[in-house]
Amino acid sequence: METTLSIKRSKRISKGASPKSASPQDRTNEARTILGENVDRMKPISLQTKEPSETSGHKEPRFKNPFEEFGTYALPQKDIPLDSIVRSTEVVMDQIRRGYEKLLEEEAKELVWMVQYNTIIKAYEVAERYVREIEYSAEDIEDFCFALENTRKIPYLIPGPAGLYISALCNYASEEEILLKLSELKTEINLLGFRLSKGKRLLIEGDTGDFTGIGVEGGELIVEGNAKNWTGAGMRSGKILVRKNIGLHTGEWMMGGEIFVGGRVRGLGNIVEGKVYEREKLIYPGKARSPNLNY
Amino acid sequence: MEKNGYQKRVREIYGLIHDHLYFNRPDLEIKGEKYNSAILLSLLTALKQGKELIIGEPGLGKTTSAEFICSLIYQFPLGVIWASEVSGHPEQTEEKIIGRPDLGKLNQGEEDVVWTNFTQIPAKIVDEINRLPETKQSMILDGVDRGNWEYLNEMIINEEYCLFATANYQDGGTNTIIAPLVDRFDVMIESKYPGANLSFQVGKNNRKDHLLRHPKTEKEFHRLFKSKIAYEKKVDKMEELCNAFGEFVQEALGVRPLQKQDRDQIRAEMEDIGFDLDASAFTRMLLAEFSFCERYGQKRSVETCEEGCHFSGYLCHDIKNCASNRLPTSIRQYAQGLAWFLQDSEIDLEHVKSVIPYTLAHRVQWRDQVLSQKERARRDDPFPIYLVKEAVRVVLQRYREQSDHLKDALAVGSRIFQGESLEPLDGDHPLYQEIKKDLEGRKS
Amino acid sequence: MDSERNRQKEIVEKIWPRVKRKHLFPEMPTPRIRAEPDFPEEGTGEDEGIGLEMKERQMILSSAFLSKLSDRITEEQAIEALLDHGITHYTFCPWDFHTHVQLYAEAKKVVNDNTLAKRVANYFMDVVADTYCVKKRETDIPALRRSLTKGKMDQVIASLYQRIWGVDLGIPSASGRGEHEEVVRRLARIPYLDRSRWFDSVQRFARSVKPLLMEEQEEQEGQEGQGGKGQSNPTGDHGLDHYSLEEIDQGLRNYAQQNMKLAEFREVVEDFSADLKEAGYGMERGMGRGRGTPLDADVLFYMKLAEHYSLPLRKIPMEEKGALHPHTHSPWEVGSPIQDIDIWSSFGKIMPGVTQIWKKREGKGRGKVEGTPDCLIAIDSSGSMINPRKNLSYAVLGAACAADAYLRNHCKVAVYNFSDAPMGGKDILDYTLRREEVYRTLCKYFGGGTALDMDDLIPLILGRENLDLFIITDMKITNLETLIGYFEKIQNRITAVHVGENPYASRFEKAIGNRKNINIFTVKKKEDIPHIVLGKILEYFKGSP
Repeated sequence: METTLSIKRSKRISKGASPKSASPQDRTNEARTILGENVDRMKPISLQTKEPSETSGHKEPRFKNPFEEFGTYALPQKDIPLDSIVRSTEVVMDQIRRGYEKLLEEEAKELVWMVQYNTIIKAYEVAERYVREIEYSAEDIEDFCFALENTRKIPYLIPGPAGLYISALCNYASEEEILLKLSELKTEINLLGFRLSKGKRLLIEGDTGDFTGIGVEGGELIVEGNAKNWTGAGMRSGKILVRKNIGLHTGEWMMGGEIFVGGRVRGLGNIVEGKVYEREKLIYPGKARSPNLNY
Repeated sequence: MEKNGYQKRVREIYGLIHDHLYFNRPDLEIKGEKYNSAILLSLLTALKQGKELIIGEPGLGKTTSAEFICSLIYQFPLGVIWASEVSGHPEQTEEKIIGRPDLGKLNQGEEDVVWTNFTQIPAKIVDEINRLPETKQSMILDGVDRGNWEYLNEMIINEEYCLFATANYQDGGTNTIIAPLVDRFDVMIESKYPGANLSFQVGKNNRKDHLLRHPKTEKEFHRLFKSKIAYEKKVDKMEELCNAFGEFVQEALGVRPLQKQDRDQIRAEMEDIGFDLDASAFTRMLLAEFSFCERYGQKRSVETCEEGCHFSGYLCHDIKNCASNRLPTSIRQYAQGLAWFLQDSEIDLEHVKSVIPYTLAHRVQWRDQVLSQKERARRDDPFPIYLVKEAVRVVLQRYREQSDHLKDALAVGSRIFQGESLEPLDGDHPLYQEIKKDLEGRKS
Repeated sequence: MDSERNRQKEIVEKIWPRVKRKHLFPEMPTPRIRAEPDFPEEGTGEDEGIGLEMKERQMILSSAFLSKLSDRITEEQAIEALLDHGITHYTFCPWDFHTHVQLYAEAKKVVNDNTLAKRVANYFMDVVADTYCVKKRETDIPALRRSLTKGKMDQVIASLYQRIWGVDLGIPSASGRGEHEEVVRRLARIPYLDRSRWFDSVQRFARSVKPLLMEEQEEQEGQEGQGGKGQSNPTGDHGLDHYSLEEIDQGLRNYAQQNMKLAEFREVVEDFSADLKEAGYGMERGMGRGRGTPLDADVLFYMKLAEHYSLPLRKIPMEEKGALHPHTHSPWEVGSPIQDIDIWSSFGKIMPGVTQIWKKREGKGRGKVEGTPDCLIAIDSSGSMINPRKNLSYAVLGAACAADAYLRNHCKVAVYNFSDAPMGGKDILDYTLRREEVYRTLCKYFGGGTALDMDDLIPLILGRENLDLFIITDMKITNLETLIGYFEKIQNRITAVHVGENPYASRFEKAIGNRKNINIFTVKKKEDIPHIVLGKILEYFKGSP
């Protein structure tokens, strides 16, 4: 479609700069100057002059690049050690979280899990399997405990499998001594310290739930708070120290080892072998003897 | 970046107005220096051929400040400026504003136009523009937009022009300036109350108008405007008279007003000043927040923003309308002017941050909720300018947090535009969405 | 001394433009140098005192502090580092009072003590600000930190900085498991620069440093007992003087809105009450209240929440006067009538393009202000309603929104707070513009039976022509029939809002339902009450002359 620029002859135009009287060709040239390359575009396609780039086959942008001035910008990269620490922490936390989710998928279908001997063993074996593949530190375990309470990060906290998973993390951690500061945790996690092995020392600040330190296998478990029921059940050897009070069924089916309670023992379970102390006084077996509390 | 000493001269003009003619407090701090926003922005309007809306209470120097600026930048005596002003009242006619038929020739059956001083003079002042009916407001703004003035099929074209329009706050005697018209103004400023002491000073001293008056030259101007010679010849003659007046001012006041070639040179220098990356990215960020709507494609004043939208933390949630394309033009013009004035080689964030409130305040329609929440806040500026300053502060805070990533996104956009096969960067801000849309448009 | 100060002032003036640009031009005035310490003993102990103070964005550097450090770090470096730190508090963390209060509240959940929580929040904000500067900008903050005298907590923080910045600050790296090594290890894992996780991060921070801070606190208490002063924070503490009254007001409003939990809001306001009083903040916009007046946190909560639901001010209406007058010109066209031609503007000619005609318009003047309605709010505070001082009461919030809307439009508000009114369970506030009194009356809770006393209500209604009534209740009013009977007689606009269905509400609806001036809203969700109230007010105001 042709476009013509017409100037009304009937108007007299006065401009600040004096125009010379223009011939039709001059006016067209002036129009071309004003309109620039767009004049060509308005002609029928057959009449349009081809751009050199089009004839050569090399495409060039038809429109101006609106981001042109940023073409030379390079993002300043300045990493500080914090960045890599946070990154690796995130990666590890992700791995730990995935392990836990897989454990739940396998062992806590429909989010229901019963505390029974066989379920505990099975869940622990599954947890071990996933935990072995991850490299983590003691602080990661603590962070995981807190992450469990944050439903945005980990949707489901099921105390049994969670405790077993944490116990597996503790048992497979590279450190011999692990400190978990859990006093700000709102939930009391069950089954912490499960099968704590010889040479391992697990110090928990805060209260723990049921079945704390069950099946301890020579390790040392210290709870700087209260423990609930079934503490030390089935432990084989090692030490459990609870600074404050302890619940019922303490030491149920205990095979060996020692339990020291700084506060009150609500009730003892059926103990096979081993010792239980309440406020430095031996309460099982019957005679009171001063224990050797060498911590 | 001082090349020809023009900044110094303009500063001298600023100093003369500030110290002797228009008494007011500095209310704008830029780069550690304080300026009065009315004088500074008016200077830039005059230099940049902009359109300025000056608001304020009656009698606070709205018109006077514009008159002084026009007189010193364009070298017209005050008497000529006064004679060229259009005053806003409902009975204004096209004949009083633009031109009228030559009655003598009309009676003989010939058409000839007697142009008003308003159309002939480059520096135009309209007093109380909001008292004009809409049609007349539109007529003036159309004319100043293009520099064309037409009457009875005759036309004159101003090569150089700027517009100062004053308006009182809304009262029973005024019309509203409707949105499409108010959008044509580049900036809106307030001529503030100068404070009791300065106000007393104004009252105590004699009027200073006489400093910029020159009766002899004024008579020459009147004669010239009335004459029948062609407008292009008038312009040359006008320039001679202006230069003569300029020499008078220099002798009398020690300040050199600007001649036409000076103004042209200044404009050329200003045009050479570009945005630095931060200023460019921030301006884009602000524009994106202003006009973006994830749900409806863009902001429209007839569509309401729904609650619960993901972007409800951004400026688009607080605003009803969309930014016009005149806004970035105004921002660029005035930021360039400011950077030039401050002798900076590039427009940076501080320039942009300083001019945006004045270029944006009259163009925004805020949601009622925002108005009601902020109307009782303590402030020194009129409410529209205050709201925009607060909004700019918040957007700038967002910019500081993610400036690197934003610039990186724009850099990646540039590379994609050049043909590299990269993915546009993701981010929460509307600007990332805009970049993606532009790149999709490029692909198609 | 003066020459030192002048020299430092020159350094500030020289570097300020560069520092401002570095931080992308924050809206802060040029920093000043303070000559004499405010307290003579400041900085005379082992530490250098406070180097930087901020009062509402104005940074003030201590000349004495800079001089004391001058043998370890150049003044220019020290000044720039302090400015970097101060600016980052403004531009990044905490940035506003709302964030500050949230950080404090999260810290307090862990440490359970006001003073400790403030210290934790202060340290956290410092770590975030310094780390941000080190990562994003060129800064001498590490040099400053290296040169400062360090107490126990400062040493831990410095160790933390060594670890997360990768710079040497002169703290010997602990070999094996040193005393604070595990604290530093925990602290180093926190993502300080991730704003979205600050509130988790400050809790983690608090957990780790709590024992140290408690130890320090005990030591300080011991020292103060013996006349010592303890360590001061060289980069200044983060008190409320960092913020203007408007920022504090906005922060509290945002906190109330974001939280919607009365108890938490109250706790924070009470913890900061001394600082708020010191800053001169009061409920009626903080002006002229003086420092002795106590803040009522519950009332403040509802006040701030209601402000969030605010309606715009009604503009004074323009009334048409009825008479036409010539207003503007428009061109005459052939065929148009000629009686409105303006001969003067037409130059005596009647021809197209020249002749102008008058367009006439009706005169307008300012409308009347009187007739704007006042408002009577009747609120039920019987036992079946929520106690607004224990939990968030949407009924009170709705009433507060109504009160706010009318007060902001310069209308008076009266409040009739009733429980078992005939037995004295009532509070009546006569028409007033005083916001605080209105809110205080709304927040009163009696918790008894539910009965209105018409002898209280009638005097408040009689004699007022355009009065709007809002009644917010669960409708379990024992003398409901009396109320219904009275409402049937009056012409005032009445809005009744009640929550849930019950036989009383149905009875009320049946009896009143057809009256045009009465609107009844049954609200399923309590959260809808403020919106309903405001919707009604908006209708009323738009319909008003």
